[in-house]
Amino acid sequence: MKTVLFLAIKDLRVLLSDKGNVFWVFGFPVMFALFFGAIYSGIGKGPSGMKIAVVDDDKSEFSGNFISELESDEALKIIPTSRDDAVDKVRKGKIAAAVILKPGFGDGFEALFNSEDPKLEIASDPSRRMESGYLQGLLAKAQFKTLSGKFTDRQWMKGQVGLWKNDMRSDNDLDSGQKKLLLNFIDSLDTLLNDISEQNYQAGFGEDILNFAKLDVSRESEGPTTSFQITFPQAMLWAILGCTATFAISIVKERTNGTFARLCIGPIGRAHILGGKGLACFTTCVFIMSILFIASKTIFKMPIGNIFLFITASLCSVLCFVGLMMFICTLGRTEQSAGGAGWAILMIMSMIGGGMVPLVFMPSWLRPFSHISPVKWSIFALEGAIWRNFSPAEMIYPCLVLLAIGVTFFFLGVEVLRRRKD
Amino acid sequence: MIKADSLKKQYGNIVAVDDVSFEVQKAETFGLLGPNGAGKTTTIKLLCGLLKPDAGTVTLDGKTDPGLIDVRLSLGVVPQTLAIYEELSAEENLRFFGRIYGLSGQKLKERVRDCLEIAGLSERSKERVSKYSGGMKRRLNMVCSLLHEPPILLLDEPTVGVDPQSRNLIFDTIEDIKKQGRTIIYTTHYMEEAQRLCERVAILDHGKILDMDTVENLITKHGGPSHIEAEFEEKPPDPGRIKSLIDNKDVQFEENEIRFQTEKPMESLAKLNSSGLRFGSLKIQTANLEDVFLNLTGRRLRD
Repeated sequence: MKTVLFLAIKDLRVLLSDKGNVFWVFGFPVMFALFFGAIYSGIGKGPSGMKIAVVDDDKSEFSGNFISELESDEALKIIPTSRDDAVDKVRKGKIAAAVILKPGFGDGFEALFNSEDPKLEIASDPSRRMESGYLQGLLAKAQFKTLSGKFTDRQWMKGQVGLWKNDMRSDNDLDSGQKKLLLNFIDSLDTLLNDISEQNYQAGFGEDILNFAKLDVSRESEGPTTSFQITFPQAMLWAILGCTATFAISIVKERTNGTFARLCIGPIGRAHILGGKGLACFTTCVFIMSILFIASKTIFKMPIGNIFLFITASLCSVLCFVGLMMFICTLGRTEQSAGGAGWAILMIMSMIGGGMVPLVFMPSWLRPFSHISPVKWSIFALEGAIWRNFSPAEMIYPCLVLLAIGVTFFFLGVEVLRRRKD
Repeated sequence: MIKADSLKKQYGNIVAVDDVSFEVQKAETFGLLGPNGAGKTTTIKLLCGLLKPDAGTVTLDGKTDPGLIDVRLSLGVVPQTLAIYEELSAEENLRFFGRIYGLSGQKLKERVRDCLEIAGLSERSKERVSKYSGGMKRRLNMVCSLLHEPPILLLDEPTVGVDPQSRNLIFDTIEDIKKQGRTIIYTTHYMEEAQRLCERVAILDHGKILDMDTVENLITKHGGPSHIEAEFEEKPPDPGRIKSLIDNKDVQFEENEIRFQTEKPMESLAKLNSSGLRFGSLKIQTANLEDVFLNLTGRRLRD
């Protein structure tokens, strides 16, 4: 064990002696992880400050309220302008979309649900479909909120009910049974509007008919409380992958430097040499994980469900990838080939294991393959400790899988190294 | 102490070592002399267990498995390629390799200090090796193998690419080690190194040992005649007389210079002296291992 320790200390010294190495092994994974986390910390909020032009050709009270509603949304940045200017800005890619409120937009339900002559137009850049789709959701939300404001206006509502009643009576397409039913409903509504006290009327139509923010309440109780809880396991994984990939070339580097031959001539076994590398890699990974953990707690205030299980999951993940690295580092005869093989294997595992794209977005035929990737088990275990509220018993399974992978690949690596006599 | 018996190693179709056998006695310095690609490094790798022979056996101090820990501890190998960590200092390198060989505490400290002194690196021991000159690196490469004071030392071309100062330091170190009674195998393609350091030399070419003996015996057997170049103060008036005087028909004349080869250089010189001609300068070049190799293979060592 002493020999392994000496070898590990030597490897760490060699690693720390090169400033470039220090950055790529320690700095880059941490930066990468934090960057990764920061990008995804906006999950659930949508793009912030999306610029859209709004053209108000209606100039009604309703359209004014609607625009105010849009302006109050943090996700949007409203630019009031003319129709031509708005379309031009979209065409030139300066804004994501333009919203045009045509005359009649504020004419109540009639205007809102008239599909033959829509009173609201969206001019959007076809290459920015995602933003356009997101905008449609925000417009619907604003429209309902504006409308809900009108619901509190008893006279306006009565006027709308009168209009519906007239429409129903004159509609010849409806069969008599349906018409009678709807007219009864509208009459009841009319009676309600006449008889209900002002206090009950206001209480009955709360201010938010469709308040999307309320969906987060259920997430808070069951799932992650911050988006960092989702991205942190992935970020940790990338940090481990970056670190192990750096160590993956270490045996080849020893080989090309001639020091591997000197070590082999010495009174130590190949398992010692590989063990030393593994210990150095393990120590580095644990150090990086600690930095990430501190950063996540202090900067991003990320809560962790069970700290003991989190440490267990982290150590098992590191051991798994260190074992894997010790196998990878015996492959290849040049630094390029070993490095390439290392990244290729880790990337494929990351791809199929949900390290790049969440498993839910993968094609169903590909998802079963994720079971063979340690990335999947590692993320699963870390999520279990952070926000899935795993019990210790539930944590045993992914941790055992990770340890089994690590140990298997370690012995495979020793065997490969023993067999290679060059 | 060291015995190689019918060693054979092949890489694909290339036979690197072909039926190589030799025996090295305790406290002997044995040379493997041959050009690049002769099979010297492969032989060293077979001896220290880095390579497994296709055929034949290696016996080190009575043991046939170089993988045994006590065999490895008794071996010091100076590889041809530098085998040191350039990112670390000389002291850190020595301390690391010392620990690998089981040294610790005061003993390790002393050995590191001694080796730094031997290598002439005491003053720059804390500097990173990457800042050293080629010669300094070579010296460090050598002393890393001396740390544990092994009774057997295998030196694979330790002076390749070094400056004359470092070369002399390496020679001095090896001569000191010889005096300590260690057994040494020294590979080189410089005949003057083999001639200076080795008691016995094996001439190796294309993986085969062509001959093996003391340096003197090899020269006597294969060195050929000595070369004499004499410059007279005046042009010899009668070249035929000189030819008959030294009994050599192949004497070359050029103005007042003559050149010839002879098995008995001193006898020929005495005869020339009796001719009454006065010498301006005289050069006698006796045969060396270079001539031995040339006569054995038809090629020069550095061809």
